[in-house]
Amino acid sequence: MSAADHREWRESAGAYVLDALPADERAAFEAHLAGCAACREDIEQLRVAADALPASAPPVAPPPELKARIMAVVESEAALLAAAGERADRPERPERRRRRWSLRTLSPALAAGLAALLVGVGVAGGLVIGGGSDVERTVAAQVEDPSMSMRLAVRDEDSTLEGRGLPAPPPGRVYQVWVEDEDGRVVGTDALFGPARDGHAMVVVPGSLENASRVMVSDEPRGGSRAPTGHVLAVITL
Amino acid sequence: MQLMRQGDARAFEIIYERHASAAFSLAYRMVGTRSAAEDVTQEAFVAIWRSGSRYDRARGSVRTWVLGIVHHRAIDALRRTFVRERGRTSEEGLADRLEAGERTEVEAARREESRTIRAAMDTLPSEQAQVIELAYFGGFTHVEIAEMIEAPVGTVKGRMRLGLEKLRNRLGEGMAVG
Repeated sequence: MSAADHREWRESAGAYVLDALPADERAAFEAHLAGCAACREDIEQLRVAADALPASAPPVAPPPELKARIMAVVESEAALLAAAGERADRPERPERRRRRWSLRTLSPALAAGLAALLVGVGVAGGLVIGGGSDVERTVAAQVEDPSMSMRLAVRDEDSTLEGRGLPAPPPGRVYQVWVEDEDGRVVGTDALFGPARDGHAMVVVPGSLENASRVMVSDEPRGGSRAPTGHVLAVITL
Repeated sequence: MQLMRQGDARAFEIIYERHASAAFSLAYRMVGTRSAAEDVTQEAFVAIWRSGSRYDRARGSVRTWVLGIVHHRAIDALRRTFVRERGRTSEEGLADRLEAGERTEVEAARREESRTIRAAMDTLPSEQAQVIELAYFGGFTHVEIAEMIEAPVGTVKGRMRLGLEKLRNRLGEGMAVG
């Protein structure tokens, strides 16, 4: 790296700690940071100032109802987590999973969703059940009701999720597909759907699932949510 | 934090009580309306509950972590909706602002800290304070700011860096402010 290159990167340090770099530039800067001790030191210094900025906001009291709303979500998920207990925490058979995990290692949201599945009527395994011409593999979902089934046909791009025997989502809600990456980050997709009268549904899960560890379906308000809020219908472990 | 990682709702409630006021204040400062600030704060705290295991003590205090999540959520909100028009009005003080009363020493200390940092910001050259405000509280990228103020992107980045360096020095000096 030339001195000129370094100077150019160095100028981005302020924008970086202010979260003001566009996504592509941010990624490139972070790649530079990995190999540049001087810039990492710079970041640490500038972050002292950036971290002080939120305290400059004039104090405004949050309404009590806000706490009530947040605690309602938290307490319901905590109760589900507790209700799942040891049964949900039992180890999985190794051949069913690529990676080991337990309920305690999951985020509370996913744990709560999975707990709801495991305490339900039945568990259909996440088995690899076949493949088509451009399909890498097809994976069945864990579902709470054995009368329904879901399976994901995984492709390089735009995988397909198909469900049979699905119940209609609650009034005013739709099903939304979520993808959890290997770092445990859950991202909502644009895949919103509702089943036909016969319970059949097919939806495209956009993008690559190369770095995904799980795909999940929950019911959400029309238009979808930014984080799972509803009942988890199915979990597909990749 | 350890208890929250284990799904303890009461542990989460303590985190909320300690940081909700600062979090809501930051959200309100950024998105400019109470309803949008409530949405941002709720999204942030639910995310905090669900991701407590990702808190890394080595990377800063719980408060910094919480406010960082609020900041990111507010930027997401600003960048995805029209509420970005709000920031300018919040600067001028909205009629519906309900400032926290100075009922406790903690609140009084927070108010004093807020005044101190704003006073430090006021000592910066206006063009440096402007780009920092637009970036941090407005959620704008340096490219967007360059277009808004009709300056080269390199100039904007330079002002951000210089402004932050000066701000850090001012705060480090424990500047006396009136």
